[in-house]
Amino acid sequence: MVGSSSLSIELSGLSLRNPLILASGILGTTFSIMKRIEAEGVGAITTKSITREPRDGYPNPVVVELEYGLVNAIGLSNPGIEYFVHEIKLAKRLLKIPLIVSVAGGEIEDIVYVSRRAADAGADAIELNLSCPHVRGMGMELGTDPIMVKEVVESVRKRVSKPLFVKLSPNVTSIVEIGEAAADGGADVLVAINTVKAMVIDVYLKKPILSNRYGGLSGPAIHPIAVRCVYELYENLGDEVEIVGVGGVETWRDAIELILAGASAVGIGTAIVRRGLKVFREIIQGMAHYLEEEGFSSIDEVVGLAHRR
Amino acid sequence: MYIVGRILEIKRLTCRIKAFTVEVCERVNTTPGQFMMVWIPQVGEIPLSIAYKEDRLLEFIVAKVGRVTGHMHDNLSKGDRLAIRGPYGRGFTLRNVEKCLMIAGGYGLAPLLYLSHELKRRGTEIDVALGFRTREDVFYTNRFDHVADHVWVFTEDGSYGIKGMVTEVMKKHVKLKDYDIVYTCGPELMMFEVVKHCLEQGVKVEASLERVMKCGIGICGSCILDPLGLRVCKDGPVFDGEVLMKINDFGRYWRCLDGRKVPIKSRFNS
Ligand SMILES: Cc1cc2nc3c(=O)[nH]c(=O)nc-3n(C[C@H](O)[C@H](O)[C@H](O)COP(=O)(O)OP(=O)(O)OC[C@H]3O[C@@H](n4cnc5c(N)ncnc54)[C@H](O)[C@@H]3O)c2cc1C
Ligand SMILES: Cc1cc2nc3c(=O)[nH]c(=O)nc-3n(C[C@H](O)[C@H](O)[C@H](O)COP(=O)(O)O)c2cc1C
Ligand code: FES
Repeated sequence: MVGSSSLSIELSGLSLRNPLILASGILGTTFSIMKRIEAEGVGAITTKSITREPRDGYPNPVVVELEYGLVNAIGLSNPGIEYFVHEIKLAKRLLKIPLIVSVAGGEIEDIVYVSRRAADAGADAIELNLSCPHVRGMGMELGTDPIMVKEVVESVRKRVSKPLFVKLSPNVTSIVEIGEAAADGGADVLVAINTVKAMVIDVYLKKPILSNRYGGLSGPAIHPIAVRCVYELYENLGDEVEIVGVGGVETWRDAIELILAGASAVGIGTAIVRRGLKVFREIIQGMAHYLEEEGFSSIDEVVGLAHRR
Repeated sequence: MYIVGRILEIKRLTCRIKAFTVEVCERVNTTPGQFMMVWIPQVGEIPLSIAYKEDRLLEFIVAKVGRVTGHMHDNLSKGDRLAIRGPYGRGFTLRNVEKCLMIAGGYGLAPLLYLSHELKRRGTEIDVALGFRTREDVFYTNRFDHVADHVWVFTEDGSYGIKGMVTEVMKKHVKLKDYDIVYTCGPELMMFEVVKHCLEQGVKVEASLERVMKCGIGICGSCILDPLGLRVCKDGPVFDGEVLMKINDFGRYWRCLDGRKVPIKSRFNS
């Protein structure tokens, strides 16, 4: 039984019934699966990253399952914004929770265009995926250069009044530098982290498994990296922006850890593979229990507590 | 992670269909209706139904339709290695089936072959209807001989077996109500007809669906069925007929690689 402690939060003006968010690229492709995930108790949904034109993505194999995580190189497969506008409209008609539309692209002009179309279609917030580590000529280039990051975020900020999230890649020397650039550009929320650049080679077949050879590691293996990144961002930018912590969250402990490090909300992705869609409910119950047990009246009180000296 | 397999035997069944028997290095726990993701290095990875299993031997029935299946037909030979992950998905109902009917179209007989052997072991009475386009397409009817009580073979042009569509078996050759369940796998429009008719007659029915598959483990969202948001790779590929009737996509829409929906008709008429 969930007690009286509150899990509901305000994130950049959006009301979430709890701090769990479906991470971008894990399901989130159709209104129907979003509806189903809402029924599992999640606080908000992020869509798959959408580009201006449709993309087939890379040929299979596009995922490798490991004991401690997953390496993927889906290659931003998506139906393009023209088609996805209908999916957003349907989702908005059916969902009661906030819908965050993730946007990707290689050119500022395209990113602005897709963001605007998504916002006009009813997205409650826009998330810029500048950190996708496996699309040549896309995400990586933009997201690793602070000057570019600031320019992209500023350009979108000028044209979109909805809350603006920026997703950060851990594949940089200083995530704080990139986070700062995004905040300077006008980002409301920083989402950290995207997948960690990786590769898997089959020892018998003696070849990289993914068709793209390189992929991005997610799941439990990257959780401590996510905790470190969120901690650093909160320490340096905690007064300017809010943070969504993402990376290897499978249990309520993992979620609370990110919140203690400074995250206001927590993204869940790969955990669905091993725990199923019921993972949201499990984590929510665990967090509620933790609040009771530790004597907090609201999850807000936990945000960034690990920084207190 | 992948299990490495070695091809023990390749049988040419028709000009479009080959059977691959693969010996895997470790035993896998599977149930009929489940599929494996089969990776041919430097070529690609595709979902294939388990057509038969015995100890560490897995059999796949592969229709040549494109790049990866074409490579499997043209370039693989006995002794070659491939890598397999899985099994994935939910299979057919096995429990409390005293008497069943299987309706297959083309290579759709693959999962039903495995199913028939598993059900036979459990003492189920099995009738099978297999449909093909023409005489040259007919294969593996004999593999059902010693597990099934009746095997009807249909060809559309009557060049082999009974002339007509395999779906006619439900209307002309059997009393549908005699069966606890009907299992079907094949072209989706055929399955649509089977499911609709069975439900009209009040008979339980299960069908095995295909969609584009990328991850195979329920996270990429490329195999979603509207409007229920079911994942073919995880919540299927076998679905109950009652559920399928609530899925608007069933028999109507297919998703391409980029996720856009296209009508199914154009795919199967080509
Ligand atoms: C759960 C499941 C089980 C399957 N079991 C078998 C099996 O036992 N035997 C078998 O021969 N095939 C099976 N298939 C279909 C098989 O996976 C496809 O034929 C294969 O992926 C095509 O790959 P390709 O590279 O040769 O063709 P491509 O070059 O990718 O495409 C060629 C043509 O095939 C179509 N196609 C692509 N993917 C599929 C698909 N998943 N299903 C049907 N057509 C497709 C394309 O639209 C295109 O017209 C199964 C599919 C699923 C989802
Ligand atoms: C299969 C898969 C696809 C992904 N696609 C996207 C994407 O399209 N856009 C994006 O911003 N992040 C994408 N990600 C990254 C996730 O949103 C998340 O940042 C990362 O997986 C870490 O969280 P996790 O360990 O909970 O999965 C993807 C991750 C996976 C596993
Ligand atoms: S193939 Fe990825 S969700 Fe089904």
